[in-house]
Amino acid sequence: MMADRRRINGPPGGTRPAVFASNLQSGTSATDRAQRQRQPSELRKIFLKTGLIPTASGSSYLEFEPSASLAAARANPKSLIPPSSALKLACTVHGPKPLPRSAAFSPNLVLTTHIKYAPFAARQRKGHIRDASERDLGVHLETALRGAIIAERWPKSGLDITITILEAEDDRWWGSAPDSHDASWGMMNVLAGCITAASAAIADAHIDCLDLVAGGVAALVSDDSASTSTVAPKLMLDTDPAEHRSILSACVVAYMPARDEITELWLKGDSSKASLEDGDDRTGHEALIDGAVDAARGAHAVLAEAVRESLLKTVGQA
Amino acid sequence: MAPPAATAAPSVPPSLSLPPSQFARLQPHAYLLGHLSPPSASNQPSIRANGRAPSQFRVTSANAGSLTHTNGSAVVRIGDTAAVCGVRAELLHTEDIASWSVSQASGSNKRRRLADLGEKPTEEDEDEDPEEDRAHIEDLNLLVPNLSLSTGCAPGFIPGAAPSALAQSLSHQILSLLHSTRLVRADDLRVWYQPPNLGPEELERHNDEEQMDVDAEQSATAEEKPREIKAFWVLYIDIMIISLAGNPFDAAWAAVLAALRDTKLPKAWWDVDNETIVCSDSVADARKLSLRGLPVASSYGVFEADAAAGWRANVIPDAVEENAQAQKDKKGSPERWILADPDGYEEGLIQERACVVIDKEKDGKTTIVKMEKNGGWTVDTEDLRQLVEMSARRWDEMKRILEQC
Repeated sequence: MMADRRRINGPPGGTRPAVFASNLQSGTSATDRAQRQRQPSELRKIFLKTGLIPTASGSSYLEFEPSASLAAARANPKSLIPPSSALKLACTVHGPKPLPRSAAFSPNLVLTTHIKYAPFAARQRKGHIRDASERDLGVHLETALRGAIIAERWPKSGLDITITILEAEDDRWWGSAPDSHDASWGMMNVLAGCITAASAAIADAHIDCLDLVAGGVAALVSDDSASTSTVAPKLMLDTDPAEHRSILSACVVAYMPARDEITELWLKGDSSKASLEDGDDRTGHEALIDGAVDAARGAHAVLAEAVRESLLKTVGQA
Repeated sequence: MAPPAATAAPSVPPSLSLPPSQFARLQPHAYLLGHLSPPSASNQPSIRANGRAPSQFRVTSANAGSLTHTNGSAVVRIGDTAAVCGVRAELLHTEDIASWSVSQASGSNKRRRLADLGEKPTEEDEDEDPEEDRAHIEDLNLLVPNLSLSTGCAPGFIPGAAPSALAQSLSHQILSLLHSTRLVRADDLRVWYQPPNLGPEELERHNDEEQMDVDAEQSATAEEKPREIKAFWVLYIDIMIISLAGNPFDAAWAAVLAALRDTKLPKAWWDVDNETIVCSDSVADARKLSLRGLPVASSYGVFEADAAAGWRANVIPDAVEENAQAQKDKKGSPERWILADPDGYEEGLIQERACVVIDKEKDGKTTIVKMEKNGGWTVDTEDLRQLVEMSARRWDEMKRILEQC
């Protein structure tokens, strides 16, 4: 591969991430695995603030509350390996602005979304160029927002939404070996955060929307060791993948409560084995979607509060 | 920003009924000039459109260590400009360095001598060979700073595109400043290995291999095998400019400095059984980098009242003599202002820039680490001396901020 001449490249031979001695010897993992301290339907707190970037028409910063294990590790650091991580991202909106002359006529607002992880966002160093998963996230985000924006009001205009992820969520607990239930579960939490943050930034830019669209995640998890096959997986809202032994299926929705409308739905994994309460005859995926919508309702409350704050600020300035 | 601007713009003709914010956009030069040169009758001090005095820096804050997946991280905000810096350390094994065995052979004498002394160069060891220090850090690319502006930080930087010229230039300025200040010690980045003293027959074989070495060295190796470097830590220093409102360099450099001060490297050793480097995850074993000094960057811009004043008039000598005399009289008043820490609005009106990087030694002596001035010719030696003094005051302020975070 040719070296990127526009950036400063490291040693040409490449470097290797540090290998920790505690990872080489097995057996330590069972005791200090991160545990979920929340109730199944209890959501993490969200920090959401708008208008931090004055050069953009709209901006927001979103942070998830660190999990109990991460908070403990921060307060009393013992190991250099963080038990889990909490989402941190910044979102900016530029526009509506005229489309370039070369662009074809569009009667609607043209939405472009960019999601980029910072190189230090994840456990593995990320590259500087967007990879397939980041582009995929961008497409998911675009569909989620397109349904909420009233695009006819800005013909021949473009709107750029850029999200920089400073810290992402893990896909699984760092100590567990990769297994068959592995997938990029962390990405779904990231998407939910991106949707909520982008929605706040769009409102901060005073773009007309049908409603504030919020993201939520629910997952089917089985936390029991060994006997995974016998115990049916449970439904949990706002899961942190680092806190669970294995996630069988997860769902992220972009939801507008005012219209009771889902603009984006992304469900992964096998949801057929869900164990619900007695008398609940929903299928697994229905329960998952309902769970994700509940999580999105929670995020919507935070979103509405942040947007109200942003509005009061603009009114105060004027 | 709007209310003080309205009161402090007396040079705006009363006939003009534009609100100040629109006037600022339409006539930025006249707007800023109006603020900086209030009529002498009004007795107002010269103040910038953003309410700062010409030599005043913006409010600065720093916060370190909030990112989970980094060895060291910092967020620095200078006014509305915000930079996030994360330092990630990875290992460069010497076996992965193509030219390692060659370069090591040439420098082996030195290394042997170090080993003979039988002690690790301590942190206070200032007379550690600077040439080797430089060679390791610069030739092996152990410091890899990259600055990204494609974060939506300002309109005009297309996200997803290759780094803009500004981003590339800033990355290189940071790299060259890291090299020229010798901020990071190469010894902090080395992972040493002391081979065990083996049996005599092993030693004999070892000596056979080194037959070409001089006798004195042979005897040295016979006593104790020299320590060898097995790997280096490579610091990937990534800076994301989250919000750009002027003066990105000061913010980026402050973020790098704060992040490096926060950086902890795990204890690493060569594991003979696994033939690899293994690290300890214990925080107690990890050690911080011992940086050389605290170089602080301060940037300035020069705002000229008449941007065309520097142009030489092309006139017939006799005809406009009195005109030239009038011009000379006018020069008595200050027609340019040196603005510290220019914001985004001011940067658009500035031709001449200066950047001074200052460090202070323990006895309070000021050293100029880097001085850069370009784009004009109005700043003279006397002004530069003042800039250094201003930067020295800024150094005190930044030191306080960085030590608190």
